[in-house]
Amino acid sequence: MMKLNPAATITEEFAERIKSENRSARMMKLAPLMVLIGMIIVFTIICRTQFFSPSNLLTILNQMALPLVVALGLTFVIMLGSIDLSIDGTVGMAGSLFACFVLNTEFGFNLGFFSVVIAVGVCMLCGLAIGLCHVYLKIPSFMASFAFMYICKGIGMISYQGHPPTITDPVIKALPTTYWLGVPFITWVSLLMFVLCLFIQNYTAFGRHIYAVGTNESIPRSVGVSVEKVKIGVFVLAGFLFGVAGIIGAIRLGQGQIAIGSGKMFPAQAAVVVGGTSLAGGKGGVVNTIVGVLIMTVLDNGLLILGVDPNIRTGVQGIIILVAVILTVARGAKVISK
Amino acid sequence: MTTKTSLAAKNRGGVRENIMKYFSFSAIIILVVALSLTQENWLGTTNLSNLLRDTAPLMIMSAGMTMVLLFGSIDLSMGAVCSVSNVTYVHFILAFQDVFVSPWIASVLGMLVSLAFGLGSGIALGLIHVKLKVPSFIASLGFMSLWQSVALLITQNPESVPKAMWETIEWYKVSFGVLGLPLVFALIIIVLFYCITRFTPSGRAIFAIGGNERTARVAGMNVDRTKLIVFAVNGVLAALAGIFLAANLRSSAPTIGDAFTLKIVAACALGGTSLAGGKGSELGTILGVFTVAIIENGMNFIGVDAYSQNVVFGIFVLLAIAITVDRRVRGQIVK
Amino acid sequence: MSELERKEGRAAVAEAAEPVHSISTEVLFSAKDITKTFGGTQALKGVELEVHAGEIVGLVGENGAGKSTLLKIIIGAQPQSSGTMTLHGQPYEPKTPMDANKAGVGMVFQEQSLIVTLNVAQNIFFGHEKEFKSGPVINWGKMNKEAAEVLAEVDITDIPPTKKVSDLNFATRQMVEIAKVINVTKQSGADHCLILLDEPTSVLNEAEVENLYKQMRKIADRGHAVIFVSHHLDEILHITDRIYVYKDGTSVGSLDTKDATEAKLYEMMVGHDTTTEYYHLDRQTTPKDDVLLEVKDLGLHGIFKHLNFQLHRGEVLGLCGVVGSGAEEVCEVICGDEKPSFGEMYVKGQKVKFGAPHQALAKGILMIPKERLFEGIVSTLSVEDNIALSNAKAMAKGPFVSAAAVRQQADRWIKDLRIKTSGARELLMQLSGGNQQKVVFSRALASGADILLLNHPTRGVDVGAKEEIYALIRTMTDEGKAVIVLGDTTDECIGLCSRLIVMKDGLVTGEFEAPADHKPSQIDVVSLMM
Repeated sequence: MMKLNPAATITEEFAERIKSENRSARMMKLAPLMVLIGMIIVFTIICRTQFFSPSNLLTILNQMALPLVVALGLTFVIMLGSIDLSIDGTVGMAGSLFACFVLNTEFGFNLGFFSVVIAVGVCMLCGLAIGLCHVYLKIPSFMASFAFMYICKGIGMISYQGHPPTITDPVIKALPTTYWLGVPFITWVSLLMFVLCLFIQNYTAFGRHIYAVGTNESIPRSVGVSVEKVKIGVFVLAGFLFGVAGIIGAIRLGQGQIAIGSGKMFPAQAAVVVGGTSLAGGKGGVVNTIVGVLIMTVLDNGLLILGVDPNIRTGVQGIIILVAVILTVARGAKVISK
Repeated sequence: MTTKTSLAAKNRGGVRENIMKYFSFSAIIILVVALSLTQENWLGTTNLSNLLRDTAPLMIMSAGMTMVLLFGSIDLSMGAVCSVSNVTYVHFILAFQDVFVSPWIASVLGMLVSLAFGLGSGIALGLIHVKLKVPSFIASLGFMSLWQSVALLITQNPESVPKAMWETIEWYKVSFGVLGLPLVFALIIIVLFYCITRFTPSGRAIFAIGGNERTARVAGMNVDRTKLIVFAVNGVLAALAGIFLAANLRSSAPTIGDAFTLKIVAACALGGTSLAGGKGSELGTILGVFTVAIIENGMNFIGVDAYSQNVVFGIFVLLAIAITVDRRVRGQIVK
Repeated sequence: MSELERKEGRAAVAEAAEPVHSISTEVLFSAKDITKTFGGTQALKGVELEVHAGEIVGLVGENGAGKSTLLKIIIGAQPQSSGTMTLHGQPYEPKTPMDANKAGVGMVFQEQSLIVTLNVAQNIFFGHEKEFKSGPVINWGKMNKEAAEVLAEVDITDIPPTKKVSDLNFATRQMVEIAKVINVTKQSGADHCLILLDEPTSVLNEAEVENLYKQMRKIADRGHAVIFVSHHLDEILHITDRIYVYKDGTSVGSLDTKDATEAKLYEMMVGHDTTTEYYHLDRQTTPKDDVLLEVKDLGLHGIFKHLNFQLHRGEVLGLCGVVGSGAEEVCEVICGDEKPSFGEMYVKGQKVKFGAPHQALAKGILMIPKERLFEGIVSTLSVEDNIALSNAKAMAKGPFVSAAAVRQQADRWIKDLRIKTSGARELLMQLSGGNQQKVVFSRALASGADILLLNHPTRGVDVGAKEEIYALIRTMTDEGKAVIVLGDTTDECIGLCSRLIVMKDGLVTGEFEAPADHKPSQIDVVSLMM
């Protein structure tokens, strides 16, 4: 609760309130980075070299590749004030489709690079479908994407007819152990995606419009920006990134199956909100998300070293989402939340 | 002139509102006719009683979800609560079967523990949503993640109810013709909630809150308390469904509830309950539940796998919501 | 009736406009006979406005006089129901604010329209990014440079265009907004643009207001025209060249600022004397001695403070104040919708603290809210259910609500208040505004509350329904209830109330006794409000 000073005049009181709001906003901005640094210090103290060693840092870099790409896609959606719950399905579907169309044990079509296009393309189509359902049928985004999670899981399952294809292409099989400058190839791909997203966010009109639509739809609408196009574009972009994430998952696993996607949504959700991108929309961005992903990965990694039951991790993610949202959500007697 | 246009608008509204009920009703008839004509043994007693028995958990949970949807919120954690309750019940029986003289004591205590868990989860979710103003879908999503993890922590693998305890869950198999006791129980529950939402002051408040929460608040209704109670009841119902599932299968599974979340929403939406709140009824949900159950049973019978079934349910949810969403309001912002 | 008023208005305009000689003879913008109907009510009943190049025109009038509606029509946010507008002598028919911008008309909105997460340059050129594109990328350097030039026009040189808007204070944000509007209108290519400012000074301190004046004058000196709306008459007199006075959706007249005084403006704004019959003054009761509600030093942080009053049985207390005076928030605090930051409240001598409106209702306090559609009715429920919203428990027999009791209650109120409906089961969304408001009143009366807060009770209802509502308020006091009224107009407040509290900028500026035979004059009341 704010400290109230009744001595001032009404105008001063008003100014004071704005000031204190700005102060806490600045605090909240730095909080994620503080949390990350704090966690690194704590884990270094508790686990010593087990945590802060070159090999473990490499592990962290390796682990964060897939969550980062997923979270990047989700970031844009959340910046709109919407949400995408389809992740578990789309990521799994992309992985399955990718494995089906490269050299594999089950099926005979080897399309090489085109399998990437197919997998990512289908994901983008799903993103488009979610966007259309949301924008034109006015279905809340969480519901539309929730339904698509199941639809995509089904498509992924059908694509390999119950026989998960194992990738036999030697080039792809070698990718998980390919390093460049000491960093895994897969991590480079995710960092490339990060740079791409940063570019879209900061250097294109589309990126600027996402912020505007998330802040207040009526402002961009009044200057002639098509809010519908921006929203649908964001869902397609998210679909693209989920597709890439699915391919990364398939490459790492060496096999295409729907399970690549399972359990990918909560860490991504947690990473985005912990990074400081507000669910109300308009705030945050991909830089926040990379901090959030680092927080989640370091936490995961630290807990693993401490020998915590991996099943607890999902629960921890749920609690983190709840706490992060509770800390950032707008409150007040008259606020209506549904 | 004004009366004419308003009358026309009313008729349109009436058709719109009931369209899902007509749809569900005709879907049920068409499905039953088609399945009984094409599939030989579909109309047989075994399948019918299976179908009606398996419907009970879905109906219980949909009864709760309908109330949550009626005031404009949603609870995505029901499936996970159901899972936790399911494994807790069986785990409790296994742990305490030798402690008490009668198997009934262990069984009943296990039920109470499970139900208490559901109540606690519902209250906690309600408090986070109502007092801390966290949107219900994200709050319940967090709970879903939390309870999925807890269920797996209690047991990784399915556990069976020991033979000695079977007598305490035999009630689930009692049936009157094709109509099983569980379904009768579920129907009683859903009709009870129909009466509560239609005829009691607090129940009617749900419709007012869903129609316009701000008005309900200013008019002096205790909005927070009503929401909290509904979430609490919803948690208990999800837990009850978990016990039903354990009794039905004579075993537990930590992920048993996951598949339910989509089906619950599908049943409510097909029953005509609007996602925006204020419109719908528990009786419509009964129709929706049977539609979902028959589709599922029919697909099982034909041999469609669970994943393809989910594709069908996903599309059904989208269709049903797209039809019930009110797009006449200009300039509304959907997030 | 409206026809008559419209004629009067036009005659008055013609009369007053004759001696006017403005800086330039070029008529930049004119609006003739603009009307606007919302649902069944007329917000504008034939408004005139003429603006010359290079002049600053002030619009004054009470709440609901039609200033904001007129601005919205000029900027293209709403279409007029009838009437014509011209710009540079050409017919001017904006369909959207974008059309208006393209024609050289821009508006600085009351609620700021900057996107706080973007920087200054991005805001200034929002929606015009195409002009800075090289390939898919935006040339930020070029944009920043041009933004700096635009900012320099409003004398902002110390703020880099790359600064985030959320890091700026309100005054600077407003200047950025003005710069944005100037830029937008400049792009239209017109020599002389029209800039609308709606209450731009409400969040500024004195020095900032001075700067704003300076910029407005600078804009006007370049040959553009400015329309300036403010509730602060001293500001209007200080900065404008000419003033238009509006009342009840008609133009009362226009005069040169040098001929105007505050007293003269008040006189024009308030118009006729209160009519006895209209407000049923013969039925105004003298308040009893017992105090139903007392507030001591009540305050809401940053909104209002130091509020003291006693409300007696049978009393109609009026709270008068323009938008932003804090009067509405007083209502919300008393009915439990907002928690007060300071002070105490006593109901029938008992100290109370409300966390939510239902607690206030338990003590007998209920508010009839201002925005009927958003907070007054549940449009998806029937008439009978809406009437029973506040007393559902009283309708219950045992655990169940008696459908017969709900129906009986609804039928009684439909008859008593002459609510036009096809029946108690009709959905509320099918009723007209006035009848919806009667349903809201029925609900309040049925609730059993004896302290009723009426927040703009006649907003958006037609004249006939208004009079019925006034009669209803008299009935309430006859029954021994106490009423607090926030009137739509000062006239209404004076006519209805037996005592008036006038508020300005969150503080009480005056109190008037208003017995039926000795009403305070509108000028006295209005002069304390503005």
